[in-house]
Amino acid sequence: MVCFNMYIFNRNGVCLHYSEWSRPKNVKDGAGTLVDDAKMMFGLLFSLKNVCTAIDPTREVKRPLGAPTPHGEGCSFRSFTTDCYKLHYLDSPSGIKIVLNTSKDVGSLEKQMWVIYSSLYCEYIVKNPLYTVGEPFECEQFVQKLNKFVATLG
Amino acid sequence: MSSKAKGASPGGGDRINSELFTLTYGALVRHLLLDLESPEEVNKQLDKMGQNIGIRLVDDFLAKTNTGRCRNFREAAKTIAETGFRMFLGCSAKVTQIDDKECKMVLSENPLTDFVELPEKLQPLSYCSLLCGVIRGALEQISMKVECEISKDPLKGDERFELHMRLVEYVNEEYPFKDD
Amino acid sequence: MSQRGSVLPPLVDRHILTSKTRNDVGVGAFAFLFSEIVQYSQTRVSNVSELERKLADVGFDVGVRMLELLVHREKAGKRENRILGILSFLHTNVWKNLFGKTADSLERGTSADDEYMISDHDLLVNRFISVPRDMGHLNCGAFAAGIVEGVLKSSGFPARVTAHSVTSEGLSRPKTTILIKFSPEVIERDERLGS
Repeated sequence: MVCFNMYIFNRNGVCLHYSEWSRPKNVKDGAGTLVDDAKMMFGLLFSLKNVCTAIDPTREVKRPLGAPTPHGEGCSFRSFTTDCYKLHYLDSPSGIKIVLNTSKDVGSLEKQMWVIYSSLYCEYIVKNPLYTVGEPFECEQFVQKLNKFVATLG
Repeated sequence: MSSKAKGASPGGGDRINSELFTLTYGALVRHLLLDLESPEEVNKQLDKMGQNIGIRLVDDFLAKTNTGRCRNFREAAKTIAETGFRMFLGCSAKVTQIDDKECKMVLSENPLTDFVELPEKLQPLSYCSLLCGVIRGALEQISMKVECEISKDPLKGDERFELHMRLVEYVNEEYPFKDD
Repeated sequence: MSQRGSVLPPLVDRHILTSKTRNDVGVGAFAFLFSEIVQYSQTRVSNVSELERKLADVGFDVGVRMLELLVHREKAGKRENRILGILSFLHTNVWKNLFGKTADSLERGTSADDEYMISDHDLLVNRFISVPRDMGHLNCGAFAAGIVEGVLKSSGFPARVTAHSVTSEGLSRPKTTILIKFSPEVIERDERLGS
């Protein structure tokens, strides 16, 4: 299994962190710059979540696509698989979105995503007094632990 | 050793001495008074700091307790009272009055005020404003805008510590970027 | 004699909680509170040394009060008057009460007679901290250094206390060393008492 890259967004679309382990296709050939790439990714997550909510067959009240989801409703996807990669997604109730792209041959990484959120993000970023909330962060300890953790996934 | 021994595992573990916490908070309030001088300004600053703490604290809370989405204000208030206070402050809170928009919570004990007595000239000081800010900041991150205030305060002569929370509105998640 | 008609007994009549009756607080609560203290201090200072000084001041307040509490509770009011006594009190009692475990080592400084070092491999206040590059040599252990200074000064051992990060083999992160430099009168007094 190969881990390609990882994004962490907050609820306002700010890309708090981006880690890359293997990205054969250059960003320039895709979105253009890392900033645009992150924006595109966030847009994808947001729209996909709304589409999922709109076509939800278990919901009684149908909401038109594009209307803002009222609080407490809405459902979120966990992952999607394409021909080339699998995208794993964790959406916490506080709006933190973690995206991990891996090769296709991987099962569900839900538990591991939760570990990234609770044991890495919460411990080393949220509790760090030198981190300003809402802004991208650079934290050596976090990156080290993340790399170690991702290596165990493979 | 009883099985309810406070989880003080070697190396600090998940819980620490409440005295360190109490004294640190007290030192903070003292320094704020020295810097800002007026109790009203200190109240505002404590509230703001509480809000910053709440914004971060909510992630830690969600991660450690594996709580799913709170569907509404009632659920959120109950979760704060039953789990939140115990997890962070080691004390329990009871919800005394609750409906869909308002709720009152009573704290059995409050580690912030363990050794504290307010002198006469600092009566306007709301020593625990930090807690109100924390709750407001935390709920804001899960899309609920609330107002929170201390309705009864033992430091001011009341018999118990009571918080009053009021829901202002639910905030919907909106797409932050302009479509271009 | 309470003036405000409070239902609670006056402060000095209340029980000092022992470790059995006291509830512990989540480490997260302290981490967030400390984090806010650092952030607030950053807005009021203009450089790293001033930030460390401000953290040490907050720690000083904590240390002074902690000493009163511990001396009353654990030593029945007996006062230390030797350097080694107060250092061992710090290393064992104070550390254990504040951070849940005794400090990892207590050493005498090699470069000077009036210097001692208490080290902790995983100081609580530094556990979650990763200093960004533009803050250089900031060490939030300055808070712990302030606590030590508060304890020492109130016990009658004025000293200059600072915190340093020291990389050590076998440890994944640098340990925090609190360096204590006693004032000359303390060293003199200790020598007089010793002989």
